[in-house]
Amino acid sequence: MSENEILETHLQELRRGTVVLACLRLLVEPGYGYGLLEELGRRGFPTDANTLYPLLRRLEKQGYLDSEWNTDEARPRKFYRTNRAGIVLADALTTDFQAIATAIAALSEED
Amino acid sequence: MDAATLTTRYVEAAMRTVPEKQREDLAAELEASIADQVDARVDAGQTQDAAERAVLTDLGDPDKLAAGYTGRQLHLIGPRYYLDWWRLLKILLWTVIPSVGGAVALGQIIADAPVGSVIGSVWVAMLTAGLHVAFWTTLVFVILERTGHETMTGEAWTPDRLPVPAQGGATFADMLATIIMMGVLAGLVLWDLSLGFVPGHRVSLVDPELWPTAIVILFAIMALVAMLAVVVHVQGRWTLRAAITNAVLAAVAVGTLAFNGGHLLNPAFFEVVIPDDPASVHRILTVIVWFFIAGTAAWSALDAFLKARRARR
Repeated sequence: MSENEILETHLQELRRGTVVLACLRLLVEPGYGYGLLEELGRRGFPTDANTLYPLLRRLEKQGYLDSEWNTDEARPRKFYRTNRAGIVLADALTTDFQAIATAIAALSEED
Repeated sequence: MDAATLTTRYVEAAMRTVPEKQREDLAAELEASIADQVDARVDAGQTQDAAERAVLTDLGDPDKLAAGYTGRQLHLIGPRYYLDWWRLLKILLWTVIPSVGGAVALGQIIADAPVGSVIGSVWVAMLTAGLHVAFWTTLVFVILERTGHETMTGEAWTPDRLPVPAQGGATFADMLATIIMMGVLAGLVLWDLSLGFVPGHRVSLVDPELWPTAIVILFAIMALVAMLAVVVHVQGRWTLRAAITNAVLAAVAVGTLAFNGGHLLNPAFFEVVIPDDPASVHRILTVIVWFFIAGTAAWSALDAFLKARRARR
């Protein structure tokens, strides 16, 4: 494994949980797979399609997202929306993320 | 190839391993997502063909994607059992293949086979033995991997759940001893039936009437006993269920032997070895062997229950 790939792997691991949080926040407005993929990329959470699609299913199964088929347009799409439980989860994750950010900042101040 | 069929084929391939219930919904969603991604690339100036190809390449192996949806295991033997499996497999291959090769070579040489045929049969026998060892060992662990429940229980972990150092009767050495004993026993019986232990006479000690039905059943039981030894070792202790299985196997083994009217030994063997009074020696030895078999079976069954009880504390 080259140094670059190792760095990539570490970055990926660091970001994994943040994609969940971003999805829960963005899907307060209903969204579908590809649209969300684009939105995530635009907002600084680049995600692979083959990571995002199973993730949405998982969150739905766990009861944090609701889904509904929208057949108004020519191409029917499955829309996801963060429900109450999802918002509570997102709040908890945000709190924790901020705590981690503070802790990391404190680490670098010590040098 | 028509461009549209590539997506269709991809979705179909991904849905193969998805449970029927979710299939329709998942397929529709995946298809729409792919179409969206392709459209975006076409809008950016790519050809339909190239866009589709790129999108599907990015999505990657459809089986892997499906595993992400369903949470299916993509390994045969995971980290929990890998080291045990590898260790056992190595030892078995190193012991079984040379033993089988040596035994077959010796048998062929005693039977005065030409050198070429000795080498040929030794080679084939070693290859077959290696394949069997690898297959059956792996199968046992694959079944364990698929039926293990520890990871599915929702209980919180406490230090009490730490694996206890392998207890009496469940160590790696115990497992190995059982497997090797079963292998040696099977080898002796086969040798006895095919070549016999009396030089110059092709007469077996085991009653030939037992072949093939009773012997084949016994071999199957021995294989199950060996598998049970693996399970006991992996669980780290004798459980009540393992002890019951062990007792049932012992009982079936005794029952199988008794089915031949209690005849175990070959009368012809004694006519060759002890020409003086073959009939009474045969009778006496049969009784002794029966005592030995019944005693061994009873002890084995009881021993397992005792170990299971001790392990529970």
